[in-house]
Amino acid sequence: MKRSSWIPLVVLALTLAVSACGKKPPVVAAPPPPMPTPEAFLSGNSNSGTPVRPPDPPPIPLESTVTSAPLDSWDSKSIDAINSAADSPLKPIYFLLDSDEISEDAKKILAANAEVLKTYPTWVITVEGHSDERGTAEYNLALGDRRALAARNYLLSLGIAAPRMRTVSYGKEFPFDPGHDESAWGKNRRAHFMLTAK
Amino acid sequence: MIKMLRNLLVASTAAGLAVSGSGVADGLLNAEALIRQQQVDEVALALSNPGVHPRLGVPDFVLPQGDAKMTDIAKTVADVLWDDLNFEREYYLIPRASSAGIPVTPVASLPYAQWSELGADVVLHGNAYVSGQSLVIELRLVAVKGQTPGTQYFGKKYQCGIQSARGPRDCAHQIADDFHGEVRKVDGVARTKLAFASDRDSVRVGGRPNQTTGKEIYISDYDGANQVRITANRSLNISPSWSPTGGLLAYTSYSSGYPDVYVANLAQPGRGLLRPAQGSESVHNQLSAWSPDGSMLAFMSNKSGNLDIWVINRDGSGLRNLTNTPNASEGSPTWSPNGQMMAFTSDRAGGMTPQLYTINLTGTGLRRVTHERIDRPTWSSQGFIAFTLGSPGSEIAIWDFDDPSVKVLTGGLGTNESPAISPNGRHIAFVTTRWGRQEIAVMDRTGQNVKRITTSGNNTYPNWQPIPGR
Repeated sequence: MKRSSWIPLVVLALTLAVSACGKKPPVVAAPPPPMPTPEAFLSGNSNSGTPVRPPDPPPIPLESTVTSAPLDSWDSKSIDAINSAADSPLKPIYFLLDSDEISEDAKKILAANAEVLKTYPTWVITVEGHSDERGTAEYNLALGDRRALAARNYLLSLGIAAPRMRTVSYGKEFPFDPGHDESAWGKNRRAHFMLTAK
Repeated sequence: MIKMLRNLLVASTAAGLAVSGSGVADGLLNAEALIRQQQVDEVALALSNPGVHPRLGVPDFVLPQGDAKMTDIAKTVADVLWDDLNFEREYYLIPRASSAGIPVTPVASLPYAQWSELGADVVLHGNAYVSGQSLVIELRLVAVKGQTPGTQYFGKKYQCGIQSARGPRDCAHQIADDFHGEVRKVDGVARTKLAFASDRDSVRVGGRPNQTTGKEIYISDYDGANQVRITANRSLNISPSWSPTGGLLAYTSYSSGYPDVYVANLAQPGRGLLRPAQGSESVHNQLSAWSPDGSMLAFMSNKSGNLDIWVINRDGSGLRNLTNTPNASEGSPTWSPNGQMMAFTSDRAGGMTPQLYTINLTGTGLRRVTHERIDRPTWSSQGFIAFTLGSPGSEIAIWDFDDPSVKVLTGGLGTNESPAISPNGRHIAFVTTRWGRQEIAVMDRTGQNVKRITTSGNNTYPNWQPIPGR
């Protein structure tokens, strides 16, 4: 039930994204983050072998393909509005189980996020590290900390100044999807980017 | 002795008040020994032998006729007393339903034969009456078997404050602990409380992209009664830790947008909140544990750039890093009973796998205790460490220094994590998913007699209050 409702949503989102781009291109040409293939989502390597199971609806397109607002319009919105927006210009990145490694897909998303931060040089963000529900609460606090630091350090390497980035780990306490299957877990193993000041 | 007990009870009542906020001094107000005639016979020997579990009956208390409210209160005290005595497993308790048909009589005419038929060795007889604002209970432990039925082994008069709703339960808890101490030389934990984090009130955390439910800190009696919320900051609050005197509660709160250690004084709700470690947007402190003398807190902090164990004096002075490991994460500190050592988790052996280590408070003597993947160690005053074993499936296990090996206590029902040991070392509270969501349960140190404490929301990070007044 839940999965089948994804398909029209994604199709609609893609349609909207394409038509929006056609009318009014964004100021910064940030390419929409690529949709990861199912096997890439499982292995973290977009070049590797055959899918090992039927594809779940990939978590990233839900947010990243609904990019209808041009970047230059974001500055007029409140911090809460930007953070609550389904099409927030700062996209989350996802991790493998027990891993803080930045995947190739995540690097592309981080590059786009870095462009956003360069467009809005006054923005200060908090990088939140999250985990799925598996493993102990305390271990996941440490894991979330590593994920937040890994994402922050990659943005640092892309030229975003350290004082503009705070980190915090929520461990497994704030899941994005409250479900108890791989579909939910994949969305919950993430670094989330929250606008803190602008 | 009586004066000492009274002081102890006054202290514990004060601590209870802060939580309930009832503003009425209640629970056990006074206790005095009744004349007792003690004989050394087989029942006396059984009562004093820790390896024997005499069969004990707890009848309703004898009450003057006609006061329905007082009858209800007396019944509550007897029911709760039965539960409290049953909890420590010092006696085999005859179910109150089984003995309900035995006439309630003055102690002189106790129906020995009928109690004997149910297998009772001894009966805890209570004679109750109202005196002013309180209920007085004269409690006697009387033999119904042995050479001389009717022999009295314990006698004490308790004065219970019963004005507040929780008065009768508090009184029963205090009687149970007193009785366990006197007859069995056991430190009962019926007066103690549990603290834990819960999302049961569905507190919405603002400014987030999706529906995010926060967690607040709650306190309950050791048996799960009287569950009360003590934080209300609409963020994430976890890992409560009772101070040794039981009056302060340290916990981790994200109320400023990042985790820091807060210390609440339970006697002054809403006031005097301290932040001894002085966290900031870049320095995060969490998972705190009090030193056994209450003078220091240990916690996990990223102050050095990655997660280490830090120690600080209660007044905020003397901050120091106990585990300076740039490439490893340390967490979940717990103090040895003498306060000279710390146990904690570290993934320094590799694979991001936390394992159990100990270190002297001086920073010397680092030792890896086990090679298993563990989390949340808790060091008991009784010489063992309980922890969460394994991941993602996890069980509660203990490491006993007298018999050094890992013993698993839970049996594969759901995941089980985050053990908290009762102050007498005989019970463990933990988080289990065996009933669906994350719930707090308590069990004996052996893993037996699992009892559910929470029933709503997700409940995590249990911590067991030390015995008040110790």
